[in-house]
Amino acid sequence: MGSDKMIFWFEEIGKEHNDTVGKKCANLGVMSQMGLPVPPGFAISIDLYRRFIQETGAIEKISRHVENLGDLEGQGITGYENLSRTIQSIIEEREMPHGVQELIHSYYHGLCKKVEIDDVAVSVRSAGTESRPGMFETYLNVKGTMEVLDKVKKVWASAYTARAIAFRVNKDLPVIGDELGVAVPKMVNACSAGIGFTVNPITSDASKVIIESNWGLGEGVVSGVESVDRFIVEKETLKITERIVGRKINQVLNKKNGVAWEDVSPDKQCLPSLNDEEIKEIARLAMMIEERLGSPQDIEWAVDIDSSFPKNIFLLQTRPAKVVIKSPKSATDHIAGLMAKSFKTLR
Amino acid sequence: MEEQKVESVKLWDSVPGYDFNEKIDVPEMHSYFHDGVHSVPRLTPSYSWFYGRYNPYGSQYACETLSIPRCKGWTQKIKDGSTYVAMHILRDEAEIEKRAAKFKEALVPWIQDFDGKWEGYKNELLTIYGRLKSVDLERATNIDLIHHLWDLISAYRRMWEIHFLGMYVSYSAISLLEGLVARFGLTVESPEFQNIIRGFDNKAFQVDKQLGGFSKAAIKSGLSDIFNNNKAEDVMSKLEESEAGKKWKKDFNEFLKEEGWRMVRMMDFNEPYWLEDPSAAISVIQNLVKKGVGYDLDEVRSKLVKEREQAIKELLKKVPDHEKEWFKALINLAGKASSYSEEHDLYCELYLHALVRRGLLGIGKRLVQAGTLDRPDDTLFLNPDEIEQVMLAPEFHKLQYIANRRRAQWEELKFKETPPVFTERAGFNEAVGMDLIPSEDVIILKLVVGEMPRVRPELKADIYGVCGAPGVAEGPARVIMTYEQLKEVKPGEILVCPGTNPAWTPIFGIVKGVVADRGGTLTHTAIVGREYGLPTIVNSFEGTTKIKTGMKIRVDATEGAIYFLDK
Repeated sequence: MGSDKMIFWFEEIGKEHNDTVGKKCANLGVMSQMGLPVPPGFAISIDLYRRFIQETGAIEKISRHVENLGDLEGQGITGYENLSRTIQSIIEEREMPHGVQELIHSYYHGLCKKVEIDDVAVSVRSAGTESRPGMFETYLNVKGTMEVLDKVKKVWASAYTARAIAFRVNKDLPVIGDELGVAVPKMVNACSAGIGFTVNPITSDASKVIIESNWGLGEGVVSGVESVDRFIVEKETLKITERIVGRKINQVLNKKNGVAWEDVSPDKQCLPSLNDEEIKEIARLAMMIEERLGSPQDIEWAVDIDSSFPKNIFLLQTRPAKVVIKSPKSATDHIAGLMAKSFKTLR
Repeated sequence: MEEQKVESVKLWDSVPGYDFNEKIDVPEMHSYFHDGVHSVPRLTPSYSWFYGRYNPYGSQYACETLSIPRCKGWTQKIKDGSTYVAMHILRDEAEIEKRAAKFKEALVPWIQDFDGKWEGYKNELLTIYGRLKSVDLERATNIDLIHHLWDLISAYRRMWEIHFLGMYVSYSAISLLEGLVARFGLTVESPEFQNIIRGFDNKAFQVDKQLGGFSKAAIKSGLSDIFNNNKAEDVMSKLEESEAGKKWKKDFNEFLKEEGWRMVRMMDFNEPYWLEDPSAAISVIQNLVKKGVGYDLDEVRSKLVKEREQAIKELLKKVPDHEKEWFKALINLAGKASSYSEEHDLYCELYLHALVRRGLLGIGKRLVQAGTLDRPDDTLFLNPDEIEQVMLAPEFHKLQYIANRRRAQWEELKFKETPPVFTERAGFNEAVGMDLIPSEDVIILKLVVGEMPRVRPELKADIYGVCGAPGVAEGPARVIMTYEQLKEVKPGEILVCPGTNPAWTPIFGIVKGVVADRGGTLTHTAIVGREYGLPTIVNSFEGTTKIKTGMKIRVDATEGAIYFLDK
């Protein structure tokens, strides 16, 4: 592996590339090498980001700015916000060096040829070397080289949101950090999408797969605010032991550019967003990843409108399942609350 | 002239402002309850001064700091060396609501890291103690001595602040757990529940184990005869007669230097600490040597640990999935009540009281030299205000007339009974119902006053009490009123006592069961009984009056029933 290779097709990536392209890309690569249905796409290495900030002089400017900074912890949230604005604009205002543009363009162009669609819609996703769900930006339904280049820069800059900086400062990490890789998979034209757990995150019951699903793109489930469908599949028999069909009022859909929340038409609101064979296939794929990676997984999947079963099911991401969704703090709060309350009620 | 002076001194004004005055105090607080757990036998005047002032202050400090919802701690009055407490009960629901919200916040760091918090406070205390120990009382000037007394007082105040913070948090947790397991059919007296809160190690047990090690070493070095054939107080000098004995003694002295800052009576200054008089520790070792064993509780304890894990597993099976996580955390925190209860006494009361005793005796010695007192321990019958008055020019004063009279009175009253309550309510039960229970004060309810026994005629028991630790035991009774008498206890007997404190713990390795007059399910007696797997009954009220040494009795602790077998 030459260190000068700065962009990879997913199928070229293995676990050992984690530090080269970031965790999300490495996972997509591993899944793709396992023969799992992953949307085609490419991964931009962290080295390319480094080349960008060096060749444009952005890194020097950022460093100088950070060095002259006072104590951040004393300044509260406005301090982080000001710093965030400054650094993000330093990155976003820099024009990409010609060589970098060319390189990204050549892979995007290659992808368009591969899937035989001009200006194919892709998502542009952040990929840090450590999993920090929801910390950095992801852009959906991005079309055309210019847009892709712009969104790649924005993903890179998202290492400097106020939230990300505050996170690092609180963990005693340097302000300058979180160099990001970028995953650029083809957008799945999803009729439904969602998540799957190979272990119950609350009870740690590992004998069943839990699937949550909504109409439209997966963001309609991941955000966690919507009432969605919930299916539980017994691993041993692939029997669906529980199905709760939620009233799905909103969904996320592709627009001409980007995505947007839309109403679900009334007749579809109370229909299950997956049929039985799709549920079982998602469960089977989830179990396969769990087995191959050797630990419980938390996956994202989507069902493609344009293909037919079983080729319509795509896996967009996998990561080790956090078994305890509630943090220890919430147990603490709960007990503290009960102890306080017991004085009010035990009279 | 001398007689006139004696006449004009009030005996129990040793704690100015804290003496119980029935006419004034009862109408103000409605009911004052006797603290039978901590003031039997009656407290010496000097201890009354320290305890009377700063123990209630500590409870108030913790209640304010934690914002305990229904109670602002207690106030305390001294009546002839017996202490009486009255609760500061809050009755305004809006205020209680506000306090509950703050209480919730104050609990968070404790729930997250109880051990870490306690470790920090423990280190603070040990630092203070280190400074106090470094004072050379023999060489100190009179000014140094009075400063030392003030330092002891301020250490004592801080000790109670820390003591009650940990106690309110851990006892509140156990009390919440108790309330929550009711839906699974468990009560605080159920063995299934008690198994959950036992099997914890703590510093007190580690020291016991070290004593066991010394017993084993004595047997191995052929020193058994010295331990078996001599009085505890003579053992140390007899050991000088052989090389093996000298070696053993040297090791033991090293141990005492570390662990000997430990009073034999927890709540007073009048009995020695181990380092001062090793015979208390020696007598424990004597008993172990007699049994031919070292510390034989490892097995019991590892069994208890297993039982605890099993009991927790069984309980968690009944807990719905979504509640399991915090239930586990709560069980963990509630367990701290057991370990903290024993360990904090070692670092709080037992240790600091040894230092205060050392200081008072050192001051006493100087006052004897000046002719102000006859005996160094006369200072135990003075209060710090009186010492303060004479310390810098003692040769001008005579305080014997105060000390002697108070000592004589104290000796006479020591074990005299005292009413359980002074109240303007219709009776004891009404006083408890109106002036105690509404405080929901976990310490007073679970420890000082305790749960009330249920009299169940169908059991035909001779005495009823509360289950402190489950199980049944049968054997001859041994009634013990003070720590000094503990040496009389023989293996296999059932200990009958007013109550115990951590200093008594080693004796739990010898007896078959325990009956205590007073105490609730979270008193030392109950906690240690559980940790040693001994059937234990607390709040038997009349145990020491009705049971005589030598009587054969059966203790059915699970049922809270005591039977006389010789009838």
